Amino acid sequence: MSSGSKLAKAASLLLHSPPGEVDDVFNDIRGIVGDDEALQEHLEPVLAESNMQQFLVADVPERQSRVLLTPYNRVDDARYMDPNTRTTFAFDNLHRVASDPQDLEDGEAPEGEALRAAVQKELDGYVAAHYPSGAANAFAHEGAVVSCIVSNRFSPTNFWNGSWRAVWSYNPSTRQLNGSAKIRVHYFEDGNVQLDTQSDFTADVAAAGDDEAVAKRVVAIIRGYEADFQLSIGDGYRQLSEKTFKGLRRALPVTCNKIDWDKIANYKIGWELGNAEN
Amino acid sequence: MASHEESEQMDCALDLMRRLPPQNVEENLLTLLEILPELTEDLLSAIDQPLKVRQDSVAGKEYLACDYNRDGDSYRSPWSNTYDPPLADGSAPSDRLRKLEVAANEAFATYKELYYEGGVSSVYLWDMDDSFAGVVLIKKVNDGTVRSKGSWDSIHVVEVLEKGRQARYKLTSTVMLYTVASGAKGDRQSEINLSGSLTRQDERDLPVEDAGAHIANMGRMVEDMEFKMRNALQEVYFGKTHDIVNGLRSTADTNEAKTRERLQRDLFDQLKSRKD
Repeated sequence: MSSGSKLAKAASLLLHSPPGEVDDVFNDIRGIVGDDEALQEHLEPVLAESNMQQFLVADVPERQSRVLLTPYNRVDDARYMDPNTRTTFAFDNLHRVASDPQDLEDGEAPEGEALRAAVQKELDGYVAAHYPSGAANAFAHEGAVVSCIVSNRFSPTNFWNGSWRAVWSYNPSTRQLNGSAKIRVHYFEDGNVQLDTQSDFTADVAAAGDDEAVAKRVVAIIRGYEADFQLSIGDGYRQLSEKTFKGLRRALPVTCNKIDWDKIANYKIGWELGNAEN
Repeated sequence: MASHEESEQMDCALDLMRRLPPQNVEENLLTLLEILPELTEDLLSAIDQPLKVRQDSVAGKEYLACDYNRDGDSYRSPWSNTYDPPLADGSAPSDRLRKLEVAANEAFATYKELYYEGGVSSVYLWDMDDSFAGVVLIKKVNDGTVRSKGSWDSIHVVEVLEKGRQARYKLTSTVMLYTVASGAKGDRQSEINLSGSLTRQDERDLPVEDAGAHIANMGRMVEDMEFKMRNALQEVYFGKTHDIVNGLRSTADTNEAKTRERLQRDLFDQLKSRKD
């Protein structure tokens, strides 16, 4: 294996990092490779991808606004856009710092902005009501309104981290809403236990009326699906705990007694203690 | 002796494996082996992988393969004591220890039937300077229904230090549990994969009246450990991780809850002022 492809392979492990542990995984990769300089060129594109994958929330400089980093508001390799303040900014993916805010050029609001802004408003209300530490953005992207939701809870001192991420794309011309929600949980006290679950949805949005009415309908459907998804996870847990787990190993043998080891281990092994010769 | 650089690489590799998804442990280990080929033996012995079931064609029985019964590319069966693919000078326990190994395999096969009602078990022992060590392996796979499946792998490594008519047993146990369920709610499907491993240790000084007592002593320790670990798995897998999910998203509308709280407080204040 060439050293270049080795480095690329090492860097790509970053994309498998559990939520909230990108820095730890990053340091492990550095320690394994042992050559920061050679690693750097491979890490930069992976860090950008990782930050977007995790829906990292950036503080937009000088605008008192926060925005998710996603593929839907990436302007180019180095810049992202905040649709709410109509600003673009540079983002350092390694140090996770935003800088150089620039206003988007004035002019008429881009097509679809009214609907996007209406969805953002509904989304803000929904996320505040159901996600204790959530953030969300609506983006106008390729003719659709894409809603991204992220909710992280990190508690490394208690050996766990978790994240909920969802993407919903509403296409006004087909009136279809496609989406997926993904949850990852890492529990790591004396072990490594991870929950990985994802659900994909499609719905028709039978909404008539102005942008505000459509936005209300879209977010109401999102709310309904996410609530169902959360309930279905509860059902899955019950299934795994009551059927799958119990089917693997009994808590006690059928007799309800522990094993009488003196009885089943009563073998004449044929050698005495302290007699090490064969 | 490993260099300072190698031992740091090893530490980082182990930390990394404690973080990357256990669902892909084999794939992640392969990636590490490609990046660090000089640490192949160390990585293979330090990182637990799901146990592989193999067929002993001599004894006509299944056995479990892991790093403890591997020599080169061959694995030794505890039933016929032969390597597959055949190995002329593969390492094997001394005659005296092999007798204990044969008896331990029989005893733990009984244990496995009583607790797992199926599955495969294997016990491997190896000689140490003036003592011995061993590993007890159990694997049970539940292909289950359409809706769920799972597998349980137990790896119990025991170090035995004989001291006259006593022995000190150091036990390190890892259980790897993989569970997958597909759930349906309304008009769409979702899949839950809840997997990983927990590791625990125990150490006991126990009397050894005869060689057979080693089996009873190890048996009790393994049985107690699995009892505790089954409870811990139940709690961590189906309790804690589910609580964390419900902390990410609240099923109740917290705005409504806040409004309700405010109304209650207002009502209380009104009643209080009426009373005053």
